[in-house]
Amino acid sequence: MLLEIRDLDVRYARTHAVKSANLDIKEGEIVTVLGANGAGKTSLLRALQGAVKPAGGKIRFAGEDITHMSPADRVRRGMMLVPEGRQIFVSMTVHENLLMGAYLRQDGDWVRDLKEVYERFPNLANRRDMKASTLSGGEQQMLAIGRALVSRPRLVMLDEPSLGLSPLFVNNLFELITQLNRDGITILLVEQNTGMALEVAARGYVLELGSVVLSGTSTDLSQNSALAEAYLGGGHAKTSQTA
Amino acid sequence: MLLIQQIINGVMLGSVYVTMAVAFTLTIGVLNFLNFTIPTLFMLAGMGAWALTAKGVPIIGAPLIPVVIAPIIAIVTTIAASLIVERFTFRYLKMKYGDSTEHAIPLVSSLGFLLIIENLVRIAYGTDPQRFTALEADFTFDIAGLMIRVPQLASLMISIGIVFAVNRALNHSRIGRGLRAVAENPDAANLLGVEANKLVPVIFMLTGLLCGLAGILFAMNYGEVSPQMGEDIGSKAIAGMVIGGLGSIWGAVIGGLIIGVAEMLTIHLFGADTVQVVVWGLLLVMLFFRPQGLLGHNSIGKGKL
Repeated sequence: MLLEIRDLDVRYARTHAVKSANLDIKEGEIVTVLGANGAGKTSLLRALQGAVKPAGGKIRFAGEDITHMSPADRVRRGMMLVPEGRQIFVSMTVHENLLMGAYLRQDGDWVRDLKEVYERFPNLANRRDMKASTLSGGEQQMLAIGRALVSRPRLVMLDEPSLGLSPLFVNNLFELITQLNRDGITILLVEQNTGMALEVAARGYVLELGSVVLSGTSTDLSQNSALAEAYLGGGHAKTSQTA
Repeated sequence: MLLIQQIINGVMLGSVYVTMAVAFTLTIGVLNFLNFTIPTLFMLAGMGAWALTAKGVPIIGAPLIPVVIAPIIAIVTTIAASLIVERFTFRYLKMKYGDSTEHAIPLVSSLGFLLIIENLVRIAYGTDPQRFTALEADFTFDIAGLMIRVPQLASLMISIGIVFAVNRALNHSRIGRGLRAVAENPDAANLLGVEANKLVPVIFMLTGLLCGLAGILFAMNYGEVSPQMGEDIGSKAIAGMVIGGLGSIWGAVIGGLIIGVAEMLTIHLFGADTVQVVVWGLLLVMLFFRPQGLLGHNSIGKGKL
């Protein structure tokens, strides 16, 4: 098991964002976490990367207890979160943004990984020395994913990557996610675009008000009509037009 | 001709403001906090260098330190003092009480350090300004009737040189990129593994270095130091920084030079009493018509470098 989450609790001052959640992600899988706004998906991912301290529970990555590790130590071990809204550094150039992905790399191999990112995203290579603020929404998402890849992650966690992208770009994005998975990267995908997410993922979890209320293979989940109505606010029917 | 001479003098004086305005800019840009110890660090370097040459090592009393070495010791002391301030204001209080949005605590505690250090120096050496002629190597040369003093020219060149170096380090080094990442988006930087608490001391070291240098350059130019020398210079550096644009290093450079020139021209045209009115009037006019300053970003105080 690459990532084991046991009884994870995340609390903020007034809200109990994640309530004793249990999730498992095997090496090489694509797993999706679905749920309506405010279901606790982002809180879950931020706790996994170490940006918020869990109030309880355990997180194990590749067999090692990482519950109390800093985000930096988790990055060193191969976890990388691509946050909601991309969060690229708009005052930096495309190239500098990618270098930030290699911030903790001690080995010299990151140069090769950076080259691979440029080969994977020729658009970024063409805009290498331009300010990241000049990129389109889709290119910014590519940059955010490229930045994550330069850290050579074993697990990439994507928080709503399709948000605000044109339908064409959404297709490219999900194509890219399967490609990355084929290249050996395990993916944890948080999405509101339920249809697309279940298409690329092997398994999924459904969060509601912080708790895991459903889990299963993507086929099971997509045939579960109660899911669409009860937990996703009709999102399943809406997915074809989201983006 | 006299007017041109005053402008030249203003640029030279401005170089001291530039160095300190850049120090203010670094802390505001990355940490989003106005470091009130900066004027004190400036004073500490000037008074320290003087005390080492005139009174010997503090507490022990002797030996008198040669004038070539004293400034270096003073600058190193200033850097150390800045790191102590970081340890006991910013890091300790932030860890204990503040989250990343809490800026009042470091601000107020830095003000506390300002008063304590300044008064400790007063207790040790008295409030009177001290002549510090040892450093005042007064070579002057004459170009077409304009007097250029060598120490002033040197201080201008050192100031601009150090600003170039700091700017280059911010743009082209790994730590520099990390600092800029923290300045722009602390949350995203954290997720990428940038550990802000390891980078913050770098800012305070640079602050100490810049203030130390400015203090020594000031002593070199004016041949006089005092426990309150930082107050006036520090507040004018803040004015320069705001006029140039908060968070912009080149803004701090331009703003510092503008204040220096404005000060010299005011003295020349209206007399020394009117300097404060003109400097702060300039600041208010700028805030009224262009609140982000000459080179600043659109919103005031938004952490960016």
